[in-house]
Amino acid sequence: MTGLEGPLALFLLLNLLAALIRAARGPTLADRMLAALLFGNTGVGVLLLLAYAGGTLPLNTALVDVALVLALLAAVTGVAFAKRAWGREEEKHERSD
Amino acid sequence: MNVAIELLSAALLLVGATFYLAGTVGLLRFPDVYARLHTLTKADNLGLGFIILGLAVQADSLMMACKLLLIWPLVLMASATVSYSIARRADEMGIAPISGDGDSA
Amino acid sequence: MIKIVYTDLRHIRSVLWRSVLFTALWWVLVEGRTDGWGMGGISVILSLAASLYLMPPTKVSFSSLGCAVFFSFFLIQSVKGGFQVAIMALRPRLKLAPVIMDLPITLPPGMARVVLANTLSLLPGTLSVRIHGDQLRLHILNRHLPIMQELRATEAAIAHIWKKTP
Repeated sequence: MTGLEGPLALFLLLNLLAALIRAARGPTLADRMLAALLFGNTGVGVLLLLAYAGGTLPLNTALVDVALVLALLAAVTGVAFAKRAWGREEEKHERSD
Repeated sequence: MNVAIELLSAALLLVGATFYLAGTVGLLRFPDVYARLHTLTKADNLGLGFIILGLAVQADSLMMACKLLLIWPLVLMASATVSYSIARRADEMGIAPISGDGDSA
Repeated sequence: MIKIVYTDLRHIRSVLWRSVLFTALWWVLVEGRTDGWGMGGISVILSLAASLYLMPPTKVSFSSLGCAVFFSFFLIQSVKGGFQVAIMALRPRLKLAPVIMDLPITLPPGMARVVLANTLSLLPGTLSVRIHGDQLRLHILNRHLPIMQELRATEAAIAHIWKKTP
């Protein structure tokens, strides 16, 4: 507890907001997909900072578990996403051989 | 809590926040989706790394610190794979990268 | 006969390693408490079964030294990458020279290439776009940097991760 956690969580939240607005504006569909990355990363940061904010012991450690699960889900989503992409790639490769 | 640890933690947290800021600025300024992916996969991830480190040094138990540090590789894995999927999709959709010679504003 | 014994040895070794790993993971997740071992035991056994089903032990195994080498390489490069892109973003005048390049990969197909593509996305100046055949398409933020050198160094670090067991 350094007293910085709360304000920094808010700061990260503002960053997330600005980035989300940018991503939503596009211009391409690919730009909008950046939102998935933003939530996985900045979202975890905000949760972790909030777990340590407030200063009353015991700290809100349940939020660390929430952040861990969010990170885990983001990783699984990413792998599933990529696996489909890799699978398609190989399929295409086989067909062209 | 030890003052030295508190100062170290505060410094790490501030460095992390700076990287997040750089990532957001990059996201707003960079010209195309590929360049924007660079900022999200590098600056934001390093920012999270510093935030996690800053929280881990003030954790009340070693196990809590380990648990915090466990989160970083998971997020890295997520970023790398999702960013690959996005870049690949953008390439598939025929989105051309904006190229420059290093002097453009 | 000898071959069968070797296979069994390999199996026992990976089962042991994985059990240790999952137990350690459980212990970290419960923050070192000692009161939930019943649940922990079940979780460890279930994850061990799932891992053996999804990733059966093969001739190629992880080398702990190689993993450490790769990890330190990754950490240093990743800090460098973060600094580089942060400086690029915060500079008053954006000095980018982005380009998309196809470069040849020397690593064997499979796991190693997936790790390569993902690692390069997190390293300075490079972003993996796609792998087609033996070519890796990269987006590069500044084409005046020695990209080829970086690619080869990354490949070398990744090649260390695995080793062949008898």
